[in-house]
Amino acid sequence: MAKTFRLMIASATALAAAGSAPAALAESRAPADPAARSAAYAAIARLPAFEGVWQPDWAAVTRLRAAEGQAPLTPAARRELEAFHAAKEQGENLQTEGANCRPVGMPGVMRYPYPIEFIYSPGKVNIVIETHSQLRQIFTDGRALPEDPDLLFNGSSVGRWDGDTLVVETVGFSPLISLIEGLHPTEQTRMRERIRLAGPGQLAVETTITDPALFSEPFTTAMTYRLEPEWDLREYICQENNRDAADAEGRPSMDLGFDSLGLD
Amino acid sequence: MKRLFGGLAAAAVLAMIPASGTAHHSTAMFEWGKEVPLKNATVLRWEWTNPHTFLYVTTKEADGSEKKWAFEGMSPNHLVRGGWGRRTLKQGDVIDLTYYPLRDGRNGGFNITVTFANGKTIKQIDF
Repeated sequence: MAKTFRLMIASATALAAAGSAPAALAESRAPADPAARSAAYAAIARLPAFEGVWQPDWAAVTRLRAAEGQAPLTPAARRELEAFHAAKEQGENLQTEGANCRPVGMPGVMRYPYPIEFIYSPGKVNIVIETHSQLRQIFTDGRALPEDPDLLFNGSSVGRWDGDTLVVETVGFSPLISLIEGLHPTEQTRMRERIRLAGPGQLAVETTITDPALFSEPFTTAMTYRLEPEWDLREYICQENNRDAADAEGRPSMDLGFDSLGLD
Repeated sequence: MKRLFGGLAAAAVLAMIPASGTAHHSTAMFEWGKEVPLKNATVLRWEWTNPHTFLYVTTKEADGSEKKWAFEGMSPNHLVRGGWGRRTLKQGDVIDLTYYPLRDGRNGGFNITVTFANGKTIKQIDF
């Protein structure tokens, strides 16, 4: 009974917010009440048209990589990166864990060479990542960020609408990921993304990483994506036929199948 | 169409350079950019798989012996958007191809183009 009442309030709020302000309090799980369900989907129709398959703009990635080289690092972060790059002289760290099919985590997950897809559902924005078939859920149902988050590759995200811009906060990153190649997050690492339509068929995502242990000031990079109306997202199972490897020190190897096919 | 695939192709290539955000791996094992031809190759096998497609071919040496070659290629996720498919190549097809050679000297590398008997050429990267 209490749940039905709460859903009715959410539904009434949604209807009252008709116009440019979307209903931020829509339940992210299927509402039991038909009126609430109807209101939740109607609210989605009023959101900016993020839905679709978006391909990263590679010129933007090139600029972004250059910006990473100029990131405002703390002395500790600088030492970590210098040690990482110095090890390359010994043949280490030439191959990332991507060669072992491990996802790269945030923010790199938004900058793979394969597309992403935004899909709205009540109370959340879903970002489906083609590479390794991943899902990011940006909860817009009013919930707070977790106080003691699990440490995940893509973190835990909540979002709110600032006009037509989706502002996403993400926390809780696994030490296994790299923020910049060779630089690992801490438990205090936080990310904010501002996502908006930047023009016809163009999506812009501005990402700011904050972590006083690693960055002397918040570090912001910009990405743009191009809408691909003819594309569907495809499956990408890296373990299907992976012949590459990186050992624990990042030394690369590749099995082209010469042995198994009697080739040599 | 060309504009779209140009950006996509560049994306897929540059992604292979080590940096956070690469889909898979670096290109350091190849002489990347040094395009070498291989003529009159017979397709042994075409693997349409992630994270890379693989093309296996044989060539006949001057002394009549057979040489076997292994080439890594782009992901089907990239290739399908440039018109390639799992039936693009089949056992027995006679093709010319170009590739970036393996640095370690083994018979193989990264496939760049395939030219069919009818003269049609398809590309892995620049569609």
